[in-house]
Amino acid sequence: MLKNYLKIAWRNLTKHKAYTIINVGGLALGMAVALIIGLWMQDELTHNDYFSNKDTIAQIFQSQTFNGETGTGPAIPRPLEKAFRDGYMDNFEHLVMASWNNSQYLKYKETSISRTGNFMQREAPEMLDLNIIKGEKDGLREINSIMLSASTANALFGNEEPIGKVIKVNSQYDMMVTAIYEDIPFNASFNDMHYLMPWDKYLTTAEWLKNAEDQWGNNSFQMFVQIADNTTMERVTSVIKDVKKDLNEDTAQFNPQLMLLPMDDWHLRNFFENGKQVGGRIKYVWLFGIIGVFVLLLACINFMNLSTARSEKRAKEVGIRKSIGSQRGQLINQFLGESFLVVLFAFLIAVLIVVISLGGFNELARKEIDFPWTLPSFWSISILFIIATALLAGSYPALYLSSFRPVDVLKGTFKAGKHSGLPRKILVVLQFTVSVAFIIGTVIVMQQINHAKNRPIGYDREGLVQIPVMSQDFTGKYELMRNEFIASGAVVEMSSSSSPTTNIWSNRSGWTWEGKPEGFQEDLAYTEVSPEYAKSLNLKIVAGRDFSREFPSDSNAVLLNETAVKYMGLKDPVGKLLKDEDTENPSEPLKIIGVVQDMIAQSPYEPVKQGMYTFDKYGNASFYNLRLNPKQSAGQNLAVIERVFKEHFPNIPFQYDFVDEEYGEKFAAEERIGRLSGIFTALAILISCLGLFGLTSFVAEQRTKEIGVRKVLGATVFNVWNMLSKDFLKLVIISCFIAVPIAYYVMNGWLQEYPYRVILKWWIFALAMLGALFVTVVTVSFQAIRAAKANPVKSLRTE
Amino acid sequence: MLLQLHNIFKWVNSGGQRIFLLKDINFEVREGEFISIMGPSGSGKSTLLNVIGMLDGFDEGEYQFLDEPVHSIKEKHRANLYKEYIGFVFQSYHLLDELTVKENLEMPLLYKKYKGAERKAMVADMLDRFNIVGKKDLFPAQLSGGQQQLVGIARALISNPKLILADEPTGNLNSKQGEEIMQLFKQLNDEGVTIIQVTHSEKNAAYGSRIINLLDGRMI
Repeated sequence: MLKNYLKIAWRNLTKHKAYTIINVGGLALGMAVALIIGLWMQDELTHNDYFSNKDTIAQIFQSQTFNGETGTGPAIPRPLEKAFRDGYMDNFEHLVMASWNNSQYLKYKETSISRTGNFMQREAPEMLDLNIIKGEKDGLREINSIMLSASTANALFGNEEPIGKVIKVNSQYDMMVTAIYEDIPFNASFNDMHYLMPWDKYLTTAEWLKNAEDQWGNNSFQMFVQIADNTTMERVTSVIKDVKKDLNEDTAQFNPQLMLLPMDDWHLRNFFENGKQVGGRIKYVWLFGIIGVFVLLLACINFMNLSTARSEKRAKEVGIRKSIGSQRGQLINQFLGESFLVVLFAFLIAVLIVVISLGGFNELARKEIDFPWTLPSFWSISILFIIATALLAGSYPALYLSSFRPVDVLKGTFKAGKHSGLPRKILVVLQFTVSVAFIIGTVIVMQQINHAKNRPIGYDREGLVQIPVMSQDFTGKYELMRNEFIASGAVVEMSSSSSPTTNIWSNRSGWTWEGKPEGFQEDLAYTEVSPEYAKSLNLKIVAGRDFSREFPSDSNAVLLNETAVKYMGLKDPVGKLLKDEDTENPSEPLKIIGVVQDMIAQSPYEPVKQGMYTFDKYGNASFYNLRLNPKQSAGQNLAVIERVFKEHFPNIPFQYDFVDEEYGEKFAAEERIGRLSGIFTALAILISCLGLFGLTSFVAEQRTKEIGVRKVLGATVFNVWNMLSKDFLKLVIISCFIAVPIAYYVMNGWLQEYPYRVILKWWIFALAMLGALFVTVVTVSFQAIRAAKANPVKSLRTE
Repeated sequence: MLLQLHNIFKWVNSGGQRIFLLKDINFEVREGEFISIMGPSGSGKSTLLNVIGMLDGFDEGEYQFLDEPVHSIKEKHRANLYKEYIGFVFQSYHLLDELTVKENLEMPLLYKKYKGAERKAMVADMLDRFNIVGKKDLFPAQLSGGQQQLVGIARALISNPKLILADEPTGNLNSKQGEEIMQLFKQLNDEGVTIIQVTHSEKNAAYGSRIINLLDGRMI
């Protein structure tokens, strides 16, 4: 019996090829989208599952309030460690101070590489439960020890035994390899931690690190903890929240509040607003989840629609089977079985599509997702998913088809009831509502990105290259390098700065100035630069003058940006002084010599932050900014620069970044969303059109006789086309009017996140509607015209 | 006695009026009879045949099939009765287009849950008997009308029913093909199968042992 069913099902599929391609192909596409989104969500939601102590690990976050604006971040001051170790250790299993992730040059024999990693306290490997491949877990015991990730060890040592070998770090200090740990996977925090060195070593690398030991205002460090077994994150947060405020009067005015951010939240829920956790990336996880469900729903709707639409063709079979002795239950089973078969078939194709497209998707979404061939939970979910889809898509046709009375269908008097088309119409409306909403959403995301991209950024980022300055080797060589680079002809101007052009690494407060309002708590972006900074960036001076080597007093000069002048309430800023608030042991006052144009250093979606640029007295440069010679190609310039660089720093790998590429990175997240939603929109439209195409061909076939009669009575091709298209166009217009308010509401909410945003214009909505109508007309016409051109003699004879 | 119809009425209500499809039908069929139902279009011939075949219900009266009261037994029981004893032959054959001749013949046996080997033997037997062994792997669309009807009759006969109901079996055939089919019915009847056919043609009706004439749902 099963064989008989399978045979019928298979022959039905192969006989009606177009129908099968639409039905199976559409369903497979929908399933592939749902699968990919599912895999992506799974990847996002299992971020950090790699760490066995994930549920008890947390990072200390701090909120502070400046002028009524509360900011929250992971930076904390060093004295907090002592405070915790002295009085709060019963809350913690482990407490680990850590540096920021930074890159270092690692050198063994002739091999020199640059890798990112952290300095951490001794308990870190234990807390993170690193998977030690070689050596000992307690590898940070000695101050001169270093632990390496497996890939780093491989790059440095190849097949040599790494343990016990001494490597040179930043051509400064020798460290002995004590352990090799498995690389932390891409979908986990610390995945860029390729070395681990002792915290105590870190403290010896710079004077200011040591000095920070009792500076409560110097928020330059990170602290990770694992909480004790007998407590919870909430309880620990309530215990520690006022520790800093209670211990230090000077910073108490900013109302510092401490809290734990559980490891589980690091990736998906790390946004804060006014000191409160307000979600984060999790929003996109759900957004894409909803998109996945909708696309799958569209595909299922097609399947149901086409199956029921075709049911009248299968009616005869039902009649014959019933008259031969089949019972209704058997027919239901048969049709459900067929649906199951088609869904299974579609699933196999979907898996194929996913396997083929996963590489491209990973690139697009910046992921490293593998197809989970061996994951039992994946397969069990897939099986459930297949059964659910088969039931969802197949139950309606199964119940409907099996209810036919054999006498009716065999006599040929069978006609679907007057309202049998209604569910089908509702489903078409639903499909196009989703599609139109997707179109509008995608267009708005793209517009917002372009809007931000076209925003003037204040400096000239083309032909600007930055070289990171990380090693002590660079100390005192700025002037030399500047002269050499310019003399080489590849560089027309060069400067140094303590932050990259595309970010702000430091903020300062604690100044007074003439006319400063009482109680004003300023917060200024702070960058130390060499005198040629503005010139090398082509940053315009709007008032006063630039730094100059002619004036030795410029070492105590400062440039403000336009926003800072407004922010500080300065009427005539040039010549005014910025004095240290600390009256007992003040640093020298800074004289404002000029005002520069605002430049976007942080988010292109937000207003430029008030900032100051001071003269780099102590050689705190982190970057060289090189303005390439515009008369030569970038490749030629870089080759020359590398040669000059290697002459002076033979031990350091030559690294550089194009500033315009770095700036482009700021759009990466939005562009990814834009591109993904664009693809999903295209698929949603394709699936909807496939469905519409199938439905039209069915309707045209169903009305063959009517069309024949009308033609005999004098209807033109246009009349018939009009008659067939009108019904569908009506449905699509209804969809548009449902989709527009929904899309407006959702996208308006999304845009609120961006202070610098595009204004929603009515034509976007009109365009999306016109687009949907156009696609409908094309799809429907294809079938309608064919039906209209058929010879009526033929169609009437079939009766 | 194979079956007995007693005061059968069937009607539909249309616009407040009751239109009778069958009016007070009474007759009996003995095993081995060959009955022709005749009458003009719309006289209720097919309806009567469907009622006898249990494909259609009726509104009033009693219907005994092999001493079982069809009007009062449960749907499931009725289906079994019908599956067991009745075979249908249609004017437009009603073969499943997606199945080959062999598979079409096999289908009723599947619903009766015969074993594979048994089915094979019965199908082979039937193919042999109707001389269509060479056509067993063809699809209905590849056969002529007469050949399709032959398969239709073979399908009706394959599970050895006591009663064959034929609704204008020759209506779609040319006269030569029609004659062959009628000869076949005659032969089957001689072998002991009871046949009830609906027909327009006097000539075909003459093959039967008895004629029932209908007019506007009433026997005359």
